[in-house]
Amino acid sequence: MDLFQQHFQNQTRRQLFQQAGMGMGGAALSSLFAQDSSAASKIGLGAQGTHFAPKAKRVIYIHLVGAPSHLDLWDPKPVLQKHHGELCPDEFFVGKQLAFIREQPTLLGTPKGEKFDFKKCGKSGLPISNLMPHLQGVADDMCFIRTLQTDQFNHAPAQLLSLTGFSQFGRPSIGSWVNYGLGSENKDLPGFVVLVTGQVLGAGNSAWGSGFLPTINQGIEFRSQGDPVLYLSNPKGVSPDDRRKVVDSVKHLNGLRLADVGDPEIETRINQYEMAYRMQTSVPELMDISRESKDTHEMYGTEPGKTSFANNCLLARRLVERGVRFVQLFDQGWDHHGSLATRLPDKAKQVDRPIAALIKDLKQRNLLDDTLVVWSSEFGRTPMAQGTNSNGDNVKVGRDHHKEAFSVWMAGGGTKGGFEYGQTDELGYSAAADPVHMHDFNATLMHLMGIDHERLNFRYQGLDVRLTGVAGNVVKDVIA
Amino acid sequence: MMEQFPPVRVFAAAAVSLVLSTSLHAEEKLDFNRDVRPILSDKCYHCHGPDEEAREGDFRLDVEAEAKKKFDGYFAIVPGNAEDSEVYYRISTDDDNDLMPPSKSKREMTDEQKEIIRRWIEEGAEYDDHWSLTPPVQVTDVEVSDKNWGRNAIDPFILNRLDEQGLKPSEEADRRTLIRRLSFDLAGLPPTPEEVERFISDDSDKAYEKVVDRLLKSPRFGEHWARSWLDLARYADSNGFQADQLRDSWAYRDWVIDAFNSDMPFDQFTIEQLAGDLLPNATLDQKIATGFHRTVTCNVEAGVHPEENRTNQVVDRVNTTGTVWLGTTLGCVQCHDHKYDPFTTKDYYGMFAFFNNTPLEVDNGGKGVSYSFTGPKMDLPLSEDDTQKRAEYDKQLKKLTADRKKMMSESGGREEWENELRNSVEDRPEWQVLTIDQFQTNGGEDFRALDDQSILVTGNVPGTVVYTMDASVDLADIRAIRVEALTHEEIPGTGPGRGDEKRPNFILSELSLEVLKPGKRKGQKLELHGARADYSQGGWEVEKAIDGNPKTGWAIGSQFGESHWAAFRLDKPLDATKKMTLRFTLDQNYGRGRTIGRVRISVMTGDPTVDEITDDLLTILTKDSKKKSKQDIKALDAFFMESNPELKKLDQEMAQVKRGLAAVPVPSTLIMVEMDEPRETHVMNRGNYLDKAEKVVAATPESLPPMDPKLPKDRLGLAKWLVDPENPLVARVTVNRWWAEVFGAGIVATLEDFGTQAQPPTHPQLLDWLAVELVESGWSMKHVLKAMVMSSTYRQSSNVTPDGYEKDPNNAFLARGPRFRMTAEMVRDNALAVSGMLSMKEEGAPIMPHQPPGIWRQVGRNEPKWVDETDEDRYRRGVYVIWRRAAPYPSFVNFDAPDRGSCVVKRPRTNTPLQALTLMNDPVYVELSLALASRLLKEGPDASEEDRLKRAFQLVLSRPPEKAEIGYLMGVLKERLSSLSPGEVETLIQSEGIAFQLDESLNKTELAAWFYVASILLNLDETITKG
Repeated sequence: MDLFQQHFQNQTRRQLFQQAGMGMGGAALSSLFAQDSSAASKIGLGAQGTHFAPKAKRVIYIHLVGAPSHLDLWDPKPVLQKHHGELCPDEFFVGKQLAFIREQPTLLGTPKGEKFDFKKCGKSGLPISNLMPHLQGVADDMCFIRTLQTDQFNHAPAQLLSLTGFSQFGRPSIGSWVNYGLGSENKDLPGFVVLVTGQVLGAGNSAWGSGFLPTINQGIEFRSQGDPVLYLSNPKGVSPDDRRKVVDSVKHLNGLRLADVGDPEIETRINQYEMAYRMQTSVPELMDISRESKDTHEMYGTEPGKTSFANNCLLARRLVERGVRFVQLFDQGWDHHGSLATRLPDKAKQVDRPIAALIKDLKQRNLLDDTLVVWSSEFGRTPMAQGTNSNGDNVKVGRDHHKEAFSVWMAGGGTKGGFEYGQTDELGYSAAADPVHMHDFNATLMHLMGIDHERLNFRYQGLDVRLTGVAGNVVKDVIA
Repeated sequence: MMEQFPPVRVFAAAAVSLVLSTSLHAEEKLDFNRDVRPILSDKCYHCHGPDEEAREGDFRLDVEAEAKKKFDGYFAIVPGNAEDSEVYYRISTDDDNDLMPPSKSKREMTDEQKEIIRRWIEEGAEYDDHWSLTPPVQVTDVEVSDKNWGRNAIDPFILNRLDEQGLKPSEEADRRTLIRRLSFDLAGLPPTPEEVERFISDDSDKAYEKVVDRLLKSPRFGEHWARSWLDLARYADSNGFQADQLRDSWAYRDWVIDAFNSDMPFDQFTIEQLAGDLLPNATLDQKIATGFHRTVTCNVEAGVHPEENRTNQVVDRVNTTGTVWLGTTLGCVQCHDHKYDPFTTKDYYGMFAFFNNTPLEVDNGGKGVSYSFTGPKMDLPLSEDDTQKRAEYDKQLKKLTADRKKMMSESGGREEWENELRNSVEDRPEWQVLTIDQFQTNGGEDFRALDDQSILVTGNVPGTVVYTMDASVDLADIRAIRVEALTHEEIPGTGPGRGDEKRPNFILSELSLEVLKPGKRKGQKLELHGARADYSQGGWEVEKAIDGNPKTGWAIGSQFGESHWAAFRLDKPLDATKKMTLRFTLDQNYGRGRTIGRVRISVMTGDPTVDEITDDLLTILTKDSKKKSKQDIKALDAFFMESNPELKKLDQEMAQVKRGLAAVPVPSTLIMVEMDEPRETHVMNRGNYLDKAEKVVAATPESLPPMDPKLPKDRLGLAKWLVDPENPLVARVTVNRWWAEVFGAGIVATLEDFGTQAQPPTHPQLLDWLAVELVESGWSMKHVLKAMVMSSTYRQSSNVTPDGYEKDPNNAFLARGPRFRMTAEMVRDNALAVSGMLSMKEEGAPIMPHQPPGIWRQVGRNEPKWVDETDEDRYRRGVYVIWRRAAPYPSFVNFDAPDRGSCVVKRPRTNTPLQALTLMNDPVYVELSLALASRLLKEGPDASEEDRLKRAFQLVLSRPPEKAEIGYLMGVLKERLSSLSPGEVETLIQSEGIAFQLDESLNKTELAAWFYVASILLNLDETITKG
């Protein structure tokens, strides 16, 4: 037998303690077991657990970085089209805070032509732009909120607000709250995984950070180039067998130390080396989509080995299948201040098919019922035209940042399919009925996960801080 | 303490419940602050506390007189009679209409809590100021079970509580453990084996104290202790937010290190950081110190509103000041009066006013909505060496400028030149597009020629790339060439660059032109000058495409979605009538696909000068010479100079000198500067900066001791008020943080909060003793730290016994010595030290050790780039590693380093598989394992394997191996030696990120085997733990 193993293999932790002459008391022993990863593999052990039965057990949260134009994708405005080119009403501009527009702008209707036309889809008849032909096919699974509002009109602060509930740095992200509250179902994978296409968003890693929560809850980025998880692969020349030997040796020597010192923290570390070793196999296996069926690749538009949003959608399904609770996809490139008419269709084309495929795929695997898919962004875009870039030079027309009302949607996870909530005015500027604040939206997402957003909090600086600040009302109408 | 996925909760409440349970013995009177206030605060103050807006029924419980007066015909509290007290009825009733707190508030009281309220009223319902707001008093006579235990004033406080808990202190740790613990705590580095041996063989009474004193004097002390202060100061080297560009304020970091090393009194340390600029005759260092509040994040993304950004920065300054010095959460009174603590919104904006008088920190240069970071900076003095270098360059530049001027005035034939130009305008030469015979690229892209002779590049998006384009020509008198970067719908964002749909830029780093003649293998390079372009991005001017510097180039940032061109003159006209090939080489070194998506080449025969004439110049040229204005002549001069090839050399020389000058930049740092005219400060409704309410003046919170009226109402006055010995919070908050650094947890567990919601101190008298000691020692940090580490409490063994663990899992009562994992920086510093690689180079600009590629990716302008250090900077301490908020150093992140976007009082301490992966696979630790292995072999070339192992343990763990350890590792070594080949090491050092210099004299198989042993040792729990 291998030298590395012979000393350790048959030694359980209990024997180690006995060897050290430590008859641990009942209470202490059970708390030691609680730190044992194999014992903690069930949902919520040690975590706070749900407050009521969850509708959604997992979330795939797609954040379109830069903010897509909801007016040209989801929320058709024929009246806006009719008044295209006219100066916008004063109340859209005077006293309002806009990021780029500095002079009273004109109204910008959705471009005319079949390519941009809306179609009433499915039994529900929800309007979806022809730019999203595949999503048109799953309209009856989609649940829109048309009147989401935010407080911030610059990207980074607005991203922080939507993802951490606070527009400055320092707060935990929504995924880390969920991870903190519910823990992970899979002992070989983190509970909160992040996938990124394009450049990282302006809020940086804080968008999936854990703020003042234990860092264990932060999102772990699985990267599409290099190691999927940093430092996952062994250096050149170190084989899995070599690595096993190192892990066994570290385990053995740590075991000797544990017997001497008795600190249960050492026990935990021994387990973490085991888990690290398992991750070296489980993560590459997870990331390898080459064995997915031809039909699956056809449906998503995936190509193994490439970096693409489509690949990330398929990976998201693989992650939730393996019990990862919160998967967040970021896709950069939606900040269309200019050339909206060419750039929006390009971006729509990149995401339409894979997202529709994801919804269909989850459905056919009976996962959609308890998996919540979210399409969101930091804000929406103005019904007014923007014709200059950040240097003040003229460019082809686009839309500015808009915080008053914009569309997001959810699918599955206990939401009403083919449903829309809230209504914007005929020019698409503000909520005509049922405004929903970002805090309300987050409260609703938490609710679907079985979490009372007012009760999932963390004592920090003397306050019970929560994701939704001191606000947030669950939008009960969207829940099936 | 927290570990693995899924997370496991720890025993956060253990300390409190233990305190409570001891106080509930019936014979002992309740203590308002310890037993009652936490309940009232948590359950009642939300609606019946300090917040006027939220107060229900106009009734408040937090003020004694209010709570005891007749209200609505009832007495809420009748001292001595719970049954007659409305409060007790309300909390104990079964009637849901009357029950308090109302069930919908989700603040239900437990029966135990109700009983405490009942007993407190029965006992007389005595109120007491919150403990942290009463001045600390040093008590010295403490009852203990064993007067012989303990060495200094700290110990009786500890023993007294241990006695109450039925715990006994542990025995003293052995000397190896002690010196290791001391070295990590005071210097952040392990002791050398020699230091350990010296301590062990020192049999003087002062042996221990000598070690303490040596470490306190070491420059490593300041480097180590700076880390936790820099977390508080949210010090980073970047702005945060969208583009997260870098900025220089490392001089502030060095100031902190120096201040700790010189044991600057903490009151002075406070004053200089908050208001050094306002001190009379402020020194350079005192101004640098104000970097403390310039470390705040700054949003420069396009479309930001500068005033909002400024307001957020002031808010951060107020909140951070409150957290760091007062242990108080001022953040929530920004919008409403405090729910629990006696702070009002007016208090908040009174504090705000102190910080409201510094200038805006972003500016758009008056145009567009693109902003730059422009906050006040101060130049730092240069080293003598650099001063000299700069002087030399300045001298050269002066001379060249004079030469140029002379050349301008002397250049003859000017009139002739103008005439010729006028004539040739009639017959303008034209660009002729070349057909590319062969297009090559090393980036693996797809490409095809389009009808207009341009080449469209698609498919793979490469990193850096070189296009080589060959065209055979048959033209006489070629005098200029042109490169066009064209748009196309197949390029993301229509181009012309390929890498980023949103910002389709390209960078043409270097363009060169060669002539290939048949039969000749080597091409002949043709020199270019006179670069022009339709547009160049600031900092990326077109002439940089031919400056010979591969790091600079031509780019077109912000003018995306449009075609662009660049033209260049040949130094000498080329006669290309004999069958020859022109080879254009386009180096594009920027990376990430910042490459041209569609490229076309043209040449011009005949004098290109005419082509360069703009319409404006043409008008000037044809004007009557008398009618030419000064500006006209200037423009014409400039054009003449541009088209004069003789000037090229001179200009190139000038460019080179300027580059030299740029390589010795004058360093600068961010400082606070007060505006001449202070701003008016208003209360902001719900914290909204556009919604202003009543005007306020700078003032300190009313519930704290008043500010001496003689103090100025500015930051300096505020700083002096903070460190007035009357202030009950500052010293307590400060010593508590230091205690936590050393012992693992604070005496008040909530380091960041000393308010009514805080966890009560486990040792209130000890906390006060330390606080008074700090002030009375002249605010000496080293004095207080020395007291802590000299104590018997500190010197206890950290071994855990089952009984001790059961009674006090968190070691809140300190029946054993501290034992916990080291911080991120210490983990790396330790590996550097034991492998012999650590550079002791101190201070200066931040460093970039190795990190995996692709960590720094960010949207926006002026994105910084990570370039691995290759010299000793690679091996310097963690405190010097560059801190970029969007992506801090990844191995530090894995060990719980924060992003420093905001003030961090307490880093978490987790135990995760990512930490295991880091220590095993991060090239940094692979390299250091190799270095340690190599060190062991080199230090003992003839030593036995066992002796080397012993040395390894001394180096890494400060102790000899135990028998079982040595036996086991000998087995490992033997197995490794038999299964590895000499090639393994060479493979290993070819791994990405390894800069290890292989010593050829070493046996490679041996080195490979020892590498594994070294790596195992660096991965041990003990190695990364202070125990």
